[in-house]
Amino acid sequence: MMALQEEALPCHFGSNNELFGFYHAAAGVARKAVLLCPPLGQDLIRSHRVYRQLAETLAAEGTAALRFDYYGSGDSAGRSVDVSWTRCIADIIVAARELRARSGCPVVIAFGARLGGSLAIAAAAAAHFAELIVWDPILDGVAHVMQLDTLQAALRLDPMRFVKPRSLQDVAGQWLGFAVGPRLRQQLIELSLQPPAIRTLVLDSLPATEAHDWDGLATAGASVTTLNPPTTWDDLDRLEHAILSHELIRTVSGRMREVAR
Amino acid sequence: MKESGFRFGRARHLVGVVGLPASPADNVGVIVLNAGMVHRIGPFRLHVELTRRLNSCGYPTLRFDLSTLGDSGASAELQTRPQQIRADVADAMTLLGDKSGCTGFVLVGLCSGAENAHTAACTESRTAGAIFLDGYAYRTAGFMLRHYLPRLLNPSIWRGFLSRNLHHDPQPTDAPDFRHEYPQRSEIRADLTGMLDRGLKLSFIYSGGVSKYFNHRRQFRECFGGIASHPGLSVSFLEDTDHTYILGADRERLLDIVEDWLLHNFPVVATSISA
Repeated sequence: MMALQEEALPCHFGSNNELFGFYHAAAGVARKAVLLCPPLGQDLIRSHRVYRQLAETLAAEGTAALRFDYYGSGDSAGRSVDVSWTRCIADIIVAARELRARSGCPVVIAFGARLGGSLAIAAAAAAHFAELIVWDPILDGVAHVMQLDTLQAALRLDPMRFVKPRSLQDVAGQWLGFAVGPRLRQQLIELSLQPPAIRTLVLDSLPATEAHDWDGLATAGASVTTLNPPTTWDDLDRLEHAILSHELIRTVSGRMREVAR
Repeated sequence: MKESGFRFGRARHLVGVVGLPASPADNVGVIVLNAGMVHRIGPFRLHVELTRRLNSCGYPTLRFDLSTLGDSGASAELQTRPQQIRADVADAMTLLGDKSGCTGFVLVGLCSGAENAHTAACTESRTAGAIFLDGYAYRTAGFMLRHYLPRLLNPSIWRGFLSRNLHHDPQPTDAPDFRHEYPQRSEIRADLTGMLDRGLKLSFIYSGGVSKYFNHRRQFRECFGGIASHPGLSVSFLEDTDHTYILGADRERLLDIVEDWLLHNFPVVATSISA
């Protein structure tokens, strides 16, 4: 007999209920749970659909899942300019606690794409994650800041978007649609991730033209799986296209079944 | 301001976030529809910024996902998409009415959201107004003149045109194409006339991002004639902005226009809470 699955529900949690989340109860008794750590900025919007699909797939297979938005992002409280690295990590810890309380499951695995993966790595010890699955995580903060600055500079002159080029002042203090405070910018520049001491799977869907520098993680024992087709994260022409990947869902689902054994 | 997420609707298939102002007021509620496929937070979080701004002005709000978009599912009914949209908007009005006490609603939609707001506003009696961001417009003779005349006189555009065609430089074709046919202009004009006759207030705000079909404020009159002078209708054209308001200053400018329009057409009336 198939276990009945509760409907996924929006929820608010954390200090003053500032964080917005979406809890997907597992079909049947959850033996494990997965915290879906979102990326930041436009990557969050682009990957919303695939995060929902992943959560629904995992919940149907018996893994409780919690999607949530960091303070200053998505439906959570706060302004975009308020997003900070340290607050995001604190939010992950709170969200992991919320997931354990809702699911009754002490074993929590974290999944994260891009900066969501980087944040999951950074929060792994404090949030007591049992395992990590990170999708094209950002490991080089300086290079990422330079990339976003470059894209923002190109955006100003993009004839497909603006009738006339915009001024430097118009585009200052933002990355691809989102206000960025000096604190987050500096925190990313100073990003230094320690390889996690837990079982880690890196999902690599970066295009061939980009650096696939997973050596630090692989040396610490992480396994790397390549996903096809490549994901075009940093392309102005696709800035508002959803990121979809059935391969990702299939691979993460398979990994979660391994954890169950 | 207080926000709460809800699952709601005739099949509990819809998801949205209600925002209530700090002080109760006898106002219309504002309901924001999806812009394209983007979930309820809107492009670059536009809908979050918009609803929170309006909450601070005293308006209750709901940003939600229509059937199958964002976090919403399907209702399992056999309905056309316009029927679904009307039913979803009706469900959204019922939710916001239950949570805030308001009985009249202003719909806000960008791009396909504007088309969906139009679809719902045509028949939903609780609609008090609508804000169409890059809503319906049609190319006119005036548009053609404004669009092509400067180009005909610009040598660099001729050079680019000849270069592209001589070298057969194809444009990337792997991007999804969601274009669809607009209804006949006469049909839209009749719909808008009907809305205004019912007393709805309508705001059309066009961005520079739709310069391929709209390039001057007066084009609205060229498209739809006399209704452009109706006191219940206003038209704005933000030529410098893009279609989805990617820049913070542009979003602020848009929010200012929306706020001013709402305060003018649906003034905030604070209600006293009797013991």
